[in-house]
Amino acid sequence: MIQFLGDVLGYLLDPSNWTGARGLFSRIWEHTSISGLGVILAGLLSLPPAVLLAHRRRGEFLAVSAVNLGRALPSFGVVGVMFPITLSIAALTSPLGYWATLIALVLLAMPPMFVNAFTAVRDVDDSLIEAARGMGMSESRVLLGVEIPLGLPLIMAGVRTAAVGVVATATLGAVVGYGGLGRYIIDGFAQGNDVLIFVGGLLVALLALATEVGFGWLEKKVDPLRSRRIRPPRIPTLRDTGIRTHP
Amino acid sequence: MPNVPAIEFRQVEKIYPGSSAAAVTDLSLEVAEGETVALIGPSGCGKTTLLKMVNRLIEPTAGMIRVFGNDVRSSNPVELRRGIGYVIQQVGLLPHRTVAQNIGTVPELLGWDDRRVWARVDELFDLIQLDPELRDRYPSDLSGGQRQRVGVARALAADPPIMLMDEPFGAVDPIVRKALQQQFLEVQKRLGKTTVLVTHDIDEAITLADRVAILNLGGILEQFDPPMAILRDPANAFVMSFLGHDRGLKRLSLLPISSVKLVKGPAVSRSASIEEAREMMERWGVDWIALADGDVLHGWVPGEELDGASDLASLALRRFESWLTSDASLLDALDVVVSSRTSAAAVFDGDRYLGMLSAETIGREIVT
Repeated sequence: MIQFLGDVLGYLLDPSNWTGARGLFSRIWEHTSISGLGVILAGLLSLPPAVLLAHRRRGEFLAVSAVNLGRALPSFGVVGVMFPITLSIAALTSPLGYWATLIALVLLAMPPMFVNAFTAVRDVDDSLIEAARGMGMSESRVLLGVEIPLGLPLIMAGVRTAAVGVVATATLGAVVGYGGLGRYIIDGFAQGNDVLIFVGGLLVALLALATEVGFGWLEKKVDPLRSRRIRPPRIPTLRDTGIRTHP
Repeated sequence: MPNVPAIEFRQVEKIYPGSSAAAVTDLSLEVAEGETVALIGPSGCGKTTLLKMVNRLIEPTAGMIRVFGNDVRSSNPVELRRGIGYVIQQVGLLPHRTVAQNIGTVPELLGWDDRRVWARVDELFDLIQLDPELRDRYPSDLSGGQRQRVGVARALAADPPIMLMDEPFGAVDPIVRKALQQQFLEVQKRLGKTTVLVTHDIDEAITLADRVAILNLGGILEQFDPPMAILRDPANAFVMSFLGHDRGLKRLSLLPISSVKLVKGPAVSRSASIEEAREMMERWGVDWIALADGDVLHGWVPGEELDGASDLASLALRRFESWLTSDASLLDALDVVVSSRTSAAAVFDGDRYLGMLSAETIGREIVT
């Protein structure tokens, strides 16, 4: 056991394992870049419809379906299905397995993002919305100035869940020929090299953890109610300016 | 244009989709400029629906609503709402914005520059007597009563000619509610906003409104009159039962002492004789006598102390413990009179003694 961990450490400490087209740096980049792009695309595709539908109090069925779909969708299966499809489209064949992986990641990330964003906006207190509308806020102002800021922590929680899932699942890209950290696990199995399998698994786990922590921090950062605990800069008052107006 | 009502409902009907029963039925009603009208009735009487049709949060199925003569449907709802103050029971302050920012919402929407917004916020803090310390706090730091006041200040921010208030004091305890109502009356005296107020509390309606519209289930207008007229002449059995058994007492709360005739007795001049005093006591059927000259009340003495006294001036006078000022209501007076030993209370206007208010005088007002 000690011997094994020593081998793992030895692998990680050897600079030659980190550089080059097949080095760790390159694999980590492949892994994170496809994950990042997947999350961004999924966000663009799912967040706007989610908040708009929730704002109009429509699409409840869609939200429920998204939850179920998210639970049922086997990532491995999606990658498997997408691979031959993407190969049949000339523009999507290169690099090998890239598009199949990306599409699978996007499909995987969309349901939690959609559901959270939908719930976040829908669950904003009705009386706030009524007061906002009653004061003469336009619909877009209600959405951008009230519903989204107040729903932001929950929306971000959905993005976090999706991102962690994506980082973990991007490992499957290696199965269809794409790089990423999954390469070490696939290659390790092929070569019967446990050290490689362990290195791949360890880095995926660390990456997922970093994603979780990073988004968790962001989630707190965007909470509009967090500022309640921090005194905002004082707004200049009439007394400060010395002007006196009459009611 | 003179005599254009501030708000006019004309044959308004509302049937919610999927419902066969009307929420509001053929309702016509006018609110004059500067007037406070209370809409009251049991739940399901359409009072909130009616209110929300003014600022187009709800659209009528039929009929027309005019604000200062203009059909509300001809204005953009967003623009319309910015010109109408709106207060709801849950207040609905934005939790992520400071108290000052919340109050400044509508001026900000109207595009006022910052300096003007903050100057206006300062005025409103003054108007509703809110501690300026609270301006940079968040709504969650406020008490229920403070939140309600901020809600009212927010509605008044852009100085709209019309205020719509949906159970504005419903979510606070009775003591705070009383204080808020009092403040509403004071502010209203200064600003004279045309106000439509939805409430389920008949006492609140009577206290705050110039006219009260009593609605029945299905949004049927049963009576629309000043509080006194409603209490005196309920239009029908529904209104009568809605007002409750203590309708007479409620009426007393609206009548000031100055509206009834005060009596001079049982009182005699300090220079009167013992015999005159006894005669006066007998005439009034009481066992005490007050000594008064013009608008000065000296005090009173129990009847038994007259025995053996040589003259009135030598007697030790008692002060009237039960006294009232002429602007108090007859309901306040009733309380004092009933609990006093003399069954009458001395009424003063400042230092001036005006006369006695007896239990019978008040009783006559309950009956009529």
